Amino acid sequence: MNVVKQIFGTDFRQFTMVFALVVLLLGFHIASGGNMLTPGNMQNLIAGNAYVLILAIGMVMVIVIGHIDLSVGSVAGFVGMCVALSARDLSFPWWAALLTGLVVGVAIGAWHGFWLAKIGIPGFITTLAGMMIFRGGVIWLSGSVSVPVPPELNVLGAGYLPEWGPAFTNLNNSTLLLGILAIAFYAWSQISTYRQRVADGETGLNFTAVIIRLVLVGAVLAYVTFLFGSGRPGTSFPVPGLVLVFLVIIYHVITQRTTFGRHIYAVGGNKQAAALSGVSVAKVHFFVMMNMSFLAALAGILFVARATSAGPTDGNMWELDAIAAVFIGGAAVSGGIGTVAATMIGGLVMATLNSGLFLMGVGQDKTQVIKGLVLLAAVAFDVYNKQQGRPSITGRLFGDRRTSESTTDSTKVAPAAPAAPGTAES
Amino acid sequence: MVDPHAVLEMRNITKLFPGVRALDDVTMTVRRGDIHAICGENGAGKSTLMKVLSGVYPHGTYSGQIVFEGEEMAFKDIKSSESAGIVIIHQELALIPELSVTENIFLGNEIVAGGLIDRREARRRCRDLLARVGLDIDPDMAVKYLGVGQQQLVEIAKALSKNVRLLILDEPTAALNEDDSENLLLLMKGLKGRGITSIMISHKLNEIAAVSDAVTVIRDGRTVETYAVEAGHVDEDRIIRAMVGRSLDNRYPEHEPNTGGETIIEVKGWTVEHPNVPGKLVCDDESFVARRGEIVGFAGLMGAGRTELARSLFGRSYGIHRSGQLFLHGQPVVLNTVRDAIRHRLAYVSEDRKLLGLNLLDTIKQTIVSANLGAVVRRGLIDGSKERAVAERYRTSLRIKTPGIDVGVATLSGGNQQKVVLAKWLFPDPEVLILDEPTRGIDVGAKFEIYKLIQELADQGKAVIVISSELPEILGICDRIYTICEGRITGEVPRSEADQETLMRMMTTTVGSAA
Amino acid sequence: MKRRTFTLGSAAAAGALLLAACGEGRSGGETAGGEEAGSGFEADATIGVSLPWLGTQNWAEAQAMFEEQLKSAGFTPLIQAADNKVPQQQQQIEAMVQQGAKAIVVGPIDGTQLGSALKAAKDAGVRIIGYDRLIENTDAVDGVVQFGSIRTGELQGQSLLDGLAERKGEGPYNIELFGGGPADPNAPNFFEGAMSVLQPKIDDGTLVVVSGQTDFQQVATQDWDNGKAQSRMDSLLAANYSDKPLDGVLSPNDGIARAIITSCKGAGQDIPVVDGLDAETESIKSIWAGEQYSTVHKPTKDLVAKTVEIITAFQKGEEAPATEESENNGVIDVPIYALDPIVVTEANAEEVFADDPDRLALLEG
Repeated sequence: MNVVKQIFGTDFRQFTMVFALVVLLLGFHIASGGNMLTPGNMQNLIAGNAYVLILAIGMVMVIVIGHIDLSVGSVAGFVGMCVALSARDLSFPWWAALLTGLVVGVAIGAWHGFWLAKIGIPGFITTLAGMMIFRGGVIWLSGSVSVPVPPELNVLGAGYLPEWGPAFTNLNNSTLLLGILAIAFYAWSQISTYRQRVADGETGLNFTAVIIRLVLVGAVLAYVTFLFGSGRPGTSFPVPGLVLVFLVIIYHVITQRTTFGRHIYAVGGNKQAAALSGVSVAKVHFFVMMNMSFLAALAGILFVARATSAGPTDGNMWELDAIAAVFIGGAAVSGGIGTVAATMIGGLVMATLNSGLFLMGVGQDKTQVIKGLVLLAAVAFDVYNKQQGRPSITGRLFGDRRTSESTTDSTKVAPAAPAAPGTAES
Repeated sequence: MVDPHAVLEMRNITKLFPGVRALDDVTMTVRRGDIHAICGENGAGKSTLMKVLSGVYPHGTYSGQIVFEGEEMAFKDIKSSESAGIVIIHQELALIPELSVTENIFLGNEIVAGGLIDRREARRRCRDLLARVGLDIDPDMAVKYLGVGQQQLVEIAKALSKNVRLLILDEPTAALNEDDSENLLLLMKGLKGRGITSIMISHKLNEIAAVSDAVTVIRDGRTVETYAVEAGHVDEDRIIRAMVGRSLDNRYPEHEPNTGGETIIEVKGWTVEHPNVPGKLVCDDESFVARRGEIVGFAGLMGAGRTELARSLFGRSYGIHRSGQLFLHGQPVVLNTVRDAIRHRLAYVSEDRKLLGLNLLDTIKQTIVSANLGAVVRRGLIDGSKERAVAERYRTSLRIKTPGIDVGVATLSGGNQQKVVLAKWLFPDPEVLILDEPTRGIDVGAKFEIYKLIQELADQGKAVIVISSELPEILGICDRIYTICEGRITGEVPRSEADQETLMRMMTTTVGSAA
Repeated sequence: MKRRTFTLGSAAAAGALLLAACGEGRSGGETAGGEEAGSGFEADATIGVSLPWLGTQNWAEAQAMFEEQLKSAGFTPLIQAADNKVPQQQQQIEAMVQQGAKAIVVGPIDGTQLGSALKAAKDAGVRIIGYDRLIENTDAVDGVVQFGSIRTGELQGQSLLDGLAERKGEGPYNIELFGGGPADPNAPNFFEGAMSVLQPKIDDGTLVVVSGQTDFQQVATQDWDNGKAQSRMDSLLAANYSDKPLDGVLSPNDGIARAIITSCKGAGQDIPVVDGLDAETESIKSIWAGEQYSTVHKPTKDLVAKTVEIITAFQKGEEAPATEESENNGVIDVPIYALDPIVVTEANAEEVFADDPDRLALLEG
C-alpha cells in the first residue's frame, strides 16, 4: 500500500484525473478507429487548445484567491485586435505589434486590479464590466470586420519546431531533444529529492518505488515524444504547445515555490488570517488580476496568430472554457484550493473530449451535453471526497451515536491522532 | 514605579472609539519571564488593550506610551510589533486551513533561497518548532485535518518561529476541551522556563490560578489593580471583587417577583456537541425549569455555552444534539426545526441583533411580521393593511420611537431596534421567551425601557428566560438565577439569596474543579 | 547538484545529436502528402463538410442535403457544425484531415480566420471548397460555391421597390435599411447590391430614409441576431415614426424581416413592405398570409448539387469545372461558382416551390 502510494503520489485526486485522461485518450483511440493517438491529431489538440489552457493558468490563480475573471475572452479578443490593427494601420513590425498587445494586456490587468484591490469591487463585477467594455471595444476598434495579422506571427500560433540534422530515428530532432531533456530532468529531480529526504532522516522511503515511478513516467514521456515527433515531416511538437509548457513550468514554480505563490493560497484560504500574518491582501489581489489579463493577452495573440486574422467575435465565451478547466482540475469556488498542474489536466480532459467526440462524429449539441455532465461529475466527485470521514448530514440531524463515540475517543489522545486526509483508500 | 525586572510597561493608554472610551488611562507592567493574566468582564477592554500592544491599532490611534525592553515603541502594524518580538495569538485562529503546517508556520516570513521557497529548510525548522510545542505531526499535513487544540499549538509554534519574546494569548482555551486546555497550560509553563514572557487573557479563574505569576484586572476600560501572585495560590475572591466592583444603583424598575406559577418548560439532561469541534460538549447534562410569570436568569461569561443552550433548545438550530429531553407543560416534545419551536410557542431573541436578529434592509413593519408571516397572509398574498395594523399595535405597546413603521430598521437606535426584534417575537404569541443579552449595545435609558417590557411580559403569564453576562442586570430583574460555566449549570439561586460575588464564583468555576 | 543537471542535460543533448547524425534527415518538404491536381482519389473517399452551425434553417437543410447527395454520389460524408465558434471550426477541419478526408467543404463562420487549419489541410493534399461564403486570407482554397451575393442584394433591393409600388401606392416612400452580420463577408455585399438599386431612388427623392442611417456600419446587425434587429427597429420607430407611416424596410434575411414585422406590429404601425432571404418556413407562411412581402430563395439543393459536382470532378482527377468569375481573397484569385437566387412573393410561391414538397406543404396548410 505504502509503496503504491510512493509510486503514484499521495494526491489521490490528481492521480484519478490523470488516470481518467489516459482512459479517455485510449477509449477515444479505439472508438474512433485509431484516429485519436496519431501525431497529427495530438499536435492539433495541443495547438488548438493552447489558448484555453493559457487562460486557465491565470484563471486558477484568480479562483484560488476567491474571485473569478469573466473578462478574459473579451480581453483576449481585444488584445488580438490591437495587435492586428497596430500592424495594419500603424505599420508596426510584427514584434512591436506583439509587444503592444502584451502591454495592453498588462494595462487592462492593472485596471481590473485597481478596482478590485484599491476600491474593493468584487472581481466578478469588475470583470463583468471588463467583459462588456472590451467586447464593445474590440467591435468598435475593428468596425466589426476581421483584420489580418502579420504573417510572421503565424509561427507562434501554428508553427512547428525546425527539422535539423539527419534523422536516424525518423523523428523530428527538435522534439526528440526536448523529450530527452524532459526525461533527464525528471530523473534528476526525482533522484535528488529522494536523496534529500534520506539525508533529512525520513524513514519508510522505498528506492524501488522511485525507480518504478521513474520508469513509468519516463515511458510516458518517451511515448509522448515519439507521438509528437513522428508526424508528417515538417511537423513536431507545436510551437504554441512549447509556449504553453514553458508557461506551465514558470507558473507552477511561481505558485508552489515562491513567497507570492504562497500568499495567493493564504489569501484565498482565509483572508483575515493572511492579513494577520502580515500578507498584503491588496497586493496579492492586484497582481493576480494583472497577471490574468497578461495571460489573456498572450492567449489572444496566440489565437489570432493561428487564425491568421483577428475577428470581432474572438474570445466569445472563452472564459467559460477556462473556468470549466479550473473546476474540473479540482479548484474550490470558495477559493484557497487549486493548482496549475491539476488545471492543465482538467483542460486536457475537456480538450480530449472535444477532439475525441469530433473524431467520432458526435455533433456539437451532444458534445456540449457531455462536457456539461463531465464538469458536474468531476466536481461532484470532489464534493463527495471532501465529505468522506465527516459525519454525514443525516448523521448530524439524528445524532448518530457511531460518529459521536469515535470522535470522543480520538480526543482522549492528546494530541489527537490526525484524521487521515480522506485518501487512505488510494 | 520603574521595575528593573519589567519587560513591558504600558503607561496611560487611552483609546477612543466613536462615542466610547474603550481604554481610559490604563497602566500595567509585565515582568520578564512571567505569565501575566488579564481578567475582566466582557467588554472591559482587555482585547482592545492587547490590540494596542500588538500594533493592530497602530501608534497614533491611541494615546500613552508602550515601553518594551527599555525602549519606547511605536508600532505601525502587526509586522513591526512582531519584529520587536511581540506576537499575538488571536481568539479566532489565524491559520489557513488548506495550507500545510509548515506553510502556515512560515506564512508571511517564508524561508527563501534564490527567489524560491526553500521547502527543505522550512520543513526541517518546522520539525524543530513542532517538537518544542510537543506536537508529533507530519509537517506537510494540511492544517484543516488538525483538531482545534493542535491548531492552537501550531499557532504557538508559528509565534516561536518569529523569535517571540512576549507572547500574547487572547482566551487561548476558549475553544478547547479540557484535555487540550490542560495541555496548553502545561506548554505555557514550559515556555516560561525558556524565558518567554506571556500575557494571557482569560475568564477562567481556575486556569489563572493554576499558572499565572501576576494578575491585572481591568474594568470599564480602567486598570483596577495589578499584583503579583504565586501560581497555585491565587486569591480568586479578590479577582472577582475587582472584576465586578461596581455599585448597584436603581437602574432597574421595581417588580414583584413571581416564582410560584405552574411549570411551563422543563429541560432534563440536555447535552449538545459543538458542530465543528468533535468531542467538545457545549451543553453538558443541563437541566432547568421555568414557570409561568417567572423571569429566569442565565448568568455566564461569553463562551460558557449560554447561547448554545438557547439555540439548541430553539429547534436545534445549533450544534449536534446528543441527549436530553424537553418538556412543555409536562409533555415531552421534540423540536427539530425552528418552525416546530415557533409552533410550540417558543421564541428566541438572539444576542447578535445585526447578524442573527434583523435583516437591516427591511422596514419596521416587514421585520415585525417576519416570524409569523402566515398570520398576515390572505389567499396566498401578504395583506398590507393587516401587516400595518400589527406593526402599529406593537409600535404603540412597546413604545418604539420612530417616525413611522415604513422606516428601515437600520435607522433606529439600538434600543428601538431591540424593541422591534422583541415585537417580531411577540407577534407569534410565545409562552416561553428566551432573550439572549437583551440589552447589549443599548444605552442606559433604553435598558430601563427594555427591563420594564420584560417585566410586563412576565406579568402577562409568559415564562421569560434572560441570558446575560452582566451580573447587575441579572440581579436587577430576574426572579431566579442559574449560572453556567463551560457548558454546565453550576448553580441555581433565588434572587433574594444572590449577590455578585457568589454568582461570579459559580460562573467561573466548573463543578468539581474548584480551587 | 547544479553541476550534475548540467552534465546530464548536455549528455542527453549530445546523445540526441549523435543519434540524429547517424541517419538520414527527414524530408522537410511542405507537400509530402500532397497530390497533384488531376490525380483524383477513390470513389468512396471521405468528404468533410464543416458548417458554421445549425441554428438557422438553411444550414440545417444544407446538412441534410450534403448527407443525402454525397451518399448518392458514392462518397462517405463526414458532416459537422461548429456552433458558430471559430476555434471549434478550426479543430473540426483539422480533425477531418486526420480522418482522411480527401476534400473538405467549408461554410466558414469567419472566412478570414481559418488560415492555419486550411493550410494544414492543403499540406495534407486535401481539396478545399468554400460553401456559401468567401474564404479569405489564404491560398488554401480551390473554389467557392455561392449564390452571387451582390446579385442577391440587387434582387432584394428590386423586390423592395416592386413591393412598395404594389402595396403602398404612389411615392415618396418612407423606408429604413437593415444589414447583416458584419463579420460575414457576404453581408456588405448584400447591402452593396441592394443599395445599387435603391440609392438612385433615394437620390431622386422617391425613397426617404427617415432616420438618415444609410451606412453599412450603422445598419449592420451584429451576428445576424434577430433580437438585436428587433431592438433597433423598436428604437427607430419610437424616434422617427410616431407621426408618419413606415412604408418599407430593406431586410438582409428572413429572420430579421420577421423581427422587423413583429416590431412594427408592436408599435401599431401598418406592416411595411419587407423583403428577406433564405425562404425560411416561417417567412413563407408570413408571405402566404400577406405580411412579409418577399424573400429571396437560394435553393440549398442547387448549391449542394453544384458543390458535389465539383467534388466529383476532383475525384475523377479532372480539372474543376470552368467558371468566369473569380474574386481576390487577399492572397489569390479564388474561382467563384455563382448561382442565381430566386425572388419569391405571394404571387409566384406555388410555382417556385413546385418541386419542393416540404415548402409546398406550407402553402397548402
